[in-house]
Amino acid sequence: MMQFWNARRRFLGGAVLALGLLAAGCTSGTPVDDTKDAAAGYDPNADVTITWWTGQSSDAETMAEKLATEFHASHPHITVNTSAGASTTDELLTKLSAGFTSGTYPDVSYAYGSWAGQLAASGRTQNLTQWVADPQMAWSEIPEAARSTATVDGRVIGVPALVDNLALIYNKTLFDKAHVAYPTDTWSWDDFRAAAKQLTDTSKNLYGAAYSVAGSEDTTWHLWPLLWQHGGKILDGDKPAFNSDAGVAALETLRQIAVDDKSMYLDQTDEKYAQLFNDNRIGMMISGPWSLYDMGEAKVDYGVSFLPGYNGDHETISGPDVWVLFDHSDANRAGAARTFLQWLTGKDVDVRWNLGNGNLPLRSSEAATKEFADYCAQYPGAQKFFDNLANAKQARPTVEAYPEVSRYVGQAIASVLQGASTPKEALDKAAQQAAVALRG
Amino acid sequence: MTTFALSRDRHEARSRPRPRRKPRRLRRALTGWAFAGPATLLILGLSVFPAVWAFVISRTKWNGIAPAKPVGWGNYETMAQDPQAAAAVGHTLWLTALFVPSSILLGMLVAVALNQKIRLVAFYRTCIFVPYVASAAATGILATFVFNPQFGAANEVLRRLGLPAQQFLESRSQALPVIVLIALWGEIGFTAVIYLAALQDIPVELTEAATVDGAGRWRVFWHVTLPQLRPVTVFTAVWQTITAIQLFDLVYTTTRGGPLQSTETVVYYVYELAFQTQRFGYGSAVAYGLFVVTMLLTLGIFWYSRRSKIEAF
Repeated sequence: MMQFWNARRRFLGGAVLALGLLAAGCTSGTPVDDTKDAAAGYDPNADVTITWWTGQSSDAETMAEKLATEFHASHPHITVNTSAGASTTDELLTKLSAGFTSGTYPDVSYAYGSWAGQLAASGRTQNLTQWVADPQMAWSEIPEAARSTATVDGRVIGVPALVDNLALIYNKTLFDKAHVAYPTDTWSWDDFRAAAKQLTDTSKNLYGAAYSVAGSEDTTWHLWPLLWQHGGKILDGDKPAFNSDAGVAALETLRQIAVDDKSMYLDQTDEKYAQLFNDNRIGMMISGPWSLYDMGEAKVDYGVSFLPGYNGDHETISGPDVWVLFDHSDANRAGAARTFLQWLTGKDVDVRWNLGNGNLPLRSSEAATKEFADYCAQYPGAQKFFDNLANAKQARPTVEAYPEVSRYVGQAIASVLQGASTPKEALDKAAQQAAVALRG
Repeated sequence: MTTFALSRDRHEARSRPRPRRKPRRLRRALTGWAFAGPATLLILGLSVFPAVWAFVISRTKWNGIAPAKPVGWGNYETMAQDPQAAAAVGHTLWLTALFVPSSILLGMLVAVALNQKIRLVAFYRTCIFVPYVASAAATGILATFVFNPQFGAANEVLRRLGLPAQQFLESRSQALPVIVLIALWGEIGFTAVIYLAALQDIPVELTEAATVDGAGRWRVFWHVTLPQLRPVTVFTAVWQTITAIQLFDLVYTTTRGGPLQSTETVVYYVYELAFQTQRFGYGSAVAYGLFVVTMLLTLGIFWYSRRSKIEAF
């Protein structure tokens, strides 16, 4: 019995050790050297199969598969294996990280802009800086904020997949009922505040404005346009700068509406306010073109205008998503992936892909197309969102620690809007936490 | 399964004149492993491996993408000084303190009521158990509708009764008790069924003897029924404590830890660290902290129940 025990213990000890070693192996892996061009020596006549994770579901995924077949017809040497990659776009990052561990990551993947810094840090992305400079790519047709989101530390790691921005969406039914004039493109935040106050009637559960206090990125990125309008910056180099006077003034604007006037619906989940807007409970919300489809379905009578401004500055924010290209130390795969992306994000295909899925066009050259005219007719307000792209001048920082920084700022905003602290206190605390995160 | 293998061997020993020693032992071991192997592999692969991996991760700084950086016990040191972790522990303790006694008391009460000879008792028993079958996620989503301060049914009831409207899940002081209330709604079915089974196991002779000796109903309950329920009470206390400590789905679907982290439990904090801010290393460290506490708690109760001879497990 004793002997048996010893043997078993030895076996278990060995197993635990082996598991430990295996586990240790899982968190590391060898990154690819990206100082040399991944597609150098690409032979366009070689037969290549590449993998494309679209991050899409239902109709968009069907269309992606159709496009991949079409691409193969016109480029017979390249086969594109298409799949959604994960069950939801949010889970793509987890899937990618698992893919890096096992070495089975795709050639092209959809990615949220906020992941750019992390993906670049994986050491498995291609360096596309020279490739996008090729005039055939018409890189400058893509909005600048989207281009900078695809660029990490001066290295381009992908091509923007989707562009959007935040604008002011207002509920005409509620404005008419309260006899308030509709917002205009030249509104100031004072105008916004006054209108929100007039529209609010808590006895009837009507709110002038709405804001998410879930503390998520949705909470955080709605503040950045105000910060920029006041002349502030999110980061200064690798130090937090959002707790400057500009940041405090920006958050104070929101605090007055939420705490002093109580004319802001504070959504704990960041999912409810859009529904309440569609139910004619909320007068104004700040949201993006993705709301157009739901508002159309809910048959809300709405209008869209630029964000309210500070001193005539109506700067907004863009939350672009990116097609990230990965390096497999195979020039043919890298080259084929680039050929495919150039085709996919080109003007002729993008009018079908992005406009067909209800998104804004990727390139300014698409504005003159018939498809864009049809899109604007189908989604009222789409033209305004397109024009608003010009107001999206800066991008969120593409640093690795951005998700963590965003969390701290989100919590700071939530505590201020719920009257638990002052803008200065809350932002200073968030800056302290962010500084630790940024130091790495 | 060992018995089976042994008897088989004995049978073979009889049929063969001189069984060689070595192959027989090997065969025995192999037979054993053939039975135990699949389950062992499953447990190793799905429980032990992730647990060991989580421990390795907990000693690194890792965001899931970039190569992990070893930081030794740094994450555990951070945990010891992290005010948000301390707050999460506080919320979890508060939640456990509210949830466990109430779920036991209410469950017992319901079980005693359902143990009476009343009409349609099977129907009532089903009704009580149904919420337990509903998934906690569905319960949570439903509850957000009921407790919505602006548009929910709960405030409508208060208004009809002439009471002031409450903020419920959007108030920092009320959110946690409301979550306990929602959790109780789902869990009482479970404790009630356990107690009901235990009540029906109590020999009728005991209560009858007490009644014959002149004890009233209350004294019968207090001196006969309740002592008989002790093992079950220890079991439900442990079970419900673990449920409370691991509460995640309700928090996720109702408040996401808010308002202002007032309902952030330890498990939710781990989720937030790992999957919201991609701090897998630190998240794993906090998860290990929780594991150690749960383990100690369980061992403590095991020890108590053995020492006091309550056969709870």
